[in-house]
Amino acid sequence: MVNALSCLLKGKVTEDPLIRDDEIERIGRDIRREIDTVFGRSLAIRELDTGSDNATEIEINNLSNPYYDVERFGITFVASPRHADVLIVTGAVTHNMAGAARKTYEAMPSPKFVVAVGDDACDGGIYNGTYAVLGGADKIFPVDLKIPGNPPTPKDILTGLLALMNQAKKTR
Amino acid sequence: MATDDRSGITAVQGLVGPEIAASRITPGCNGEYYLHVGETEFGPLVTSLALHKCALIGLFCTEGFVSASRFSLLYVFEYKATVLILVRNTGGVATSVARLLPSASWFERECRDGFGIEFDGAFDERRLFLHETYPEGFHPLLKSVRNEPVATRSAVDPAEEYPFRKVTGVGIYQVPVGPVHAGIIEPGHFRFSVIGEKIFNLEIRMFYKHRGIEKLAEGKRPQEVVRIAEAVSGDETVANATAYCCAVEKCTGTAVPDRAWYLRTILLELERIGSHLGDQAGMLIDIAFPLGANQFAVIREDVFRMNALLTGSRFMRGMVEIGGLSKDIRKEQLEELGTFVRQARKRYRVGLKIVLSTSSVLDRFAPTGIIKKSLLRPLNITGPAARASGGRVDVRVNHPYGVYDRCVPAPKPLHDGDVLSRFTVKASEILDSLDMIERLLAAMPDGTVKTEPEVKDGYALALVESARGENLCWVWIRNGVVERYKVRTASFCNWQAIEHALQGEIVPDFPLINKSLNLSYAGTDL
Repeated sequence: MVNALSCLLKGKVTEDPLIRDDEIERIGRDIRREIDTVFGRSLAIRELDTGSDNATEIEINNLSNPYYDVERFGITFVASPRHADVLIVTGAVTHNMAGAARKTYEAMPSPKFVVAVGDDACDGGIYNGTYAVLGGADKIFPVDLKIPGNPPTPKDILTGLLALMNQAKKTR
Repeated sequence: MATDDRSGITAVQGLVGPEIAASRITPGCNGEYYLHVGETEFGPLVTSLALHKCALIGLFCTEGFVSASRFSLLYVFEYKATVLILVRNTGGVATSVARLLPSASWFERECRDGFGIEFDGAFDERRLFLHETYPEGFHPLLKSVRNEPVATRSAVDPAEEYPFRKVTGVGIYQVPVGPVHAGIIEPGHFRFSVIGEKIFNLEIRMFYKHRGIEKLAEGKRPQEVVRIAEAVSGDETVANATAYCCAVEKCTGTAVPDRAWYLRTILLELERIGSHLGDQAGMLIDIAFPLGANQFAVIREDVFRMNALLTGSRFMRGMVEIGGLSKDIRKEQLEELGTFVRQARKRYRVGLKIVLSTSSVLDRFAPTGIIKKSLLRPLNITGPAARASGGRVDVRVNHPYGVYDRCVPAPKPLHDGDVLSRFTVKASEILDSLDMIERLLAAMPDGTVKTEPEVKDGYALALVESARGENLCWVWIRNGVVERYKVRTASFCNWQAIEHALQGEIVPDFPLINKSLNLSYAGTDL
């Protein structure tokens, strides 16, 4: 408490960030507010790769770099589906991943939301109708939101998550 | 025949021995040599190549390549600057070479899944990219199999599950990890056999992301396949697109304008810088040193933004095309790149100093996860992983393509083969790539960036140095469409290095060692 007070009086103990992206700050503030309203404190996301080309994973990982640092908006990426509110799915669903993907979804507690990120997760993309994939994520479980892109940028993903908050409100 | 071809044939003859007449060795379109071999001479020839320290860098099957036989197996051997492809015809059964050339094991299993080829004497006959849900007798790369949805089983009887190598003994237990991991990582299964905390054996099972890249390319016009090549592995978009385009350009005789090659090379090096920075940040995250990691993560994000400025895509997608590039990069943008490179170098050095002067970093990095030099050739380990273990392998130096003969990289191999060596090799490569970009910018020629390619039938092999090592690509165009697109990324071979690097290490060091190689699952699984 003393420490927190002294920080308030003296100002920040850390350096000011060198990077500032006003648009990200604005989207982030909106998400922060929506998460507080819809999910209480924070939004726990579990990422599931069902057959992506890894570009989308890289962009999701980038959300944690100092430019975006989305944890400050109340978004956390969790290690287990049992801790997750949202499942982010990347890639078309391959036959080889379908089983593990279903188990991951089933392991999530309700209420749960699924977001397909990237063209391949949205509808199977270039792999649609081929021998190795079942199609998009909606072939194996219900999908609440689709964020297209090859891959979508971190900004696109954040904007999509904001849309999910608005959608989740309606299900209450 | 050009003098080059004659000296090349002499080099090949030095490897295969005088029993093979020089007239049988035919030059391919891209500096590779082909030799059709009969079944009786195949065995002795492969033994001789192995004795001559040739690495088996690829082995793949193709159907209808020669009229006399249904299948042809193409064995790609590399010795220094020489690449020799043995063409071995088969009706469906062939002898295995995996005991002599261990890199063949996964290749043979891949041919078996794809085409149903049986390899006599193979020490591992398990399926590779077709997991157990696929039906028996299904071989998707056969021309008779159409690329359409296939009925798979939704559940598998435990008795039919993939049999991992069994390691037994007092106190040995199994730790199964994956395919879904704790972080934002691609899927793969790691089966550790552990004594106490020490890893006795690690077996890696991949191909969860098998999405049929090679079959997808078949029957498509060559231009359409560039976007498929980009999807092999997201962070190797430019490398795989370049390898594919290079092969097509060579077999169609398309001359790429100089400016296009200069720009392509800049993109290739930017991709390498971005990938290495990500690896380094990841390694530091895995040892809980975010202060160091963020130095590199910030520069990496800047690289992504620079990529977007130059090409319109953070992964530089849609840029590389057959015959050159889809669009030019404006002078002002290149100037901005020059400024960025100068600043990035300074900032990178600051970060590097912080990291390498932190004792807790060095304590975790050395001597962890050693890859022995003696493994490099048998397993065909390439890229920074090989260069950190004393290997002098770099496609840009050994088989220069584009303008790498004029803009030569200066790899600085290290010898310890541990995580620290891989970190340091990547550091020197980032600085080297920044230098190369500056040199390329200074020498940038004017002119167009694309030659309209003429569609022509033929086949060619292309090798490209991606951030992870040697990517191989073989393209065969027949009747104006792609008949066969074979791609083998560096990751496919390098995965096996991890199995060896983990022996005797502790499980908590696995993420670090894995990240120090940072292999692509997508690029392996195809």
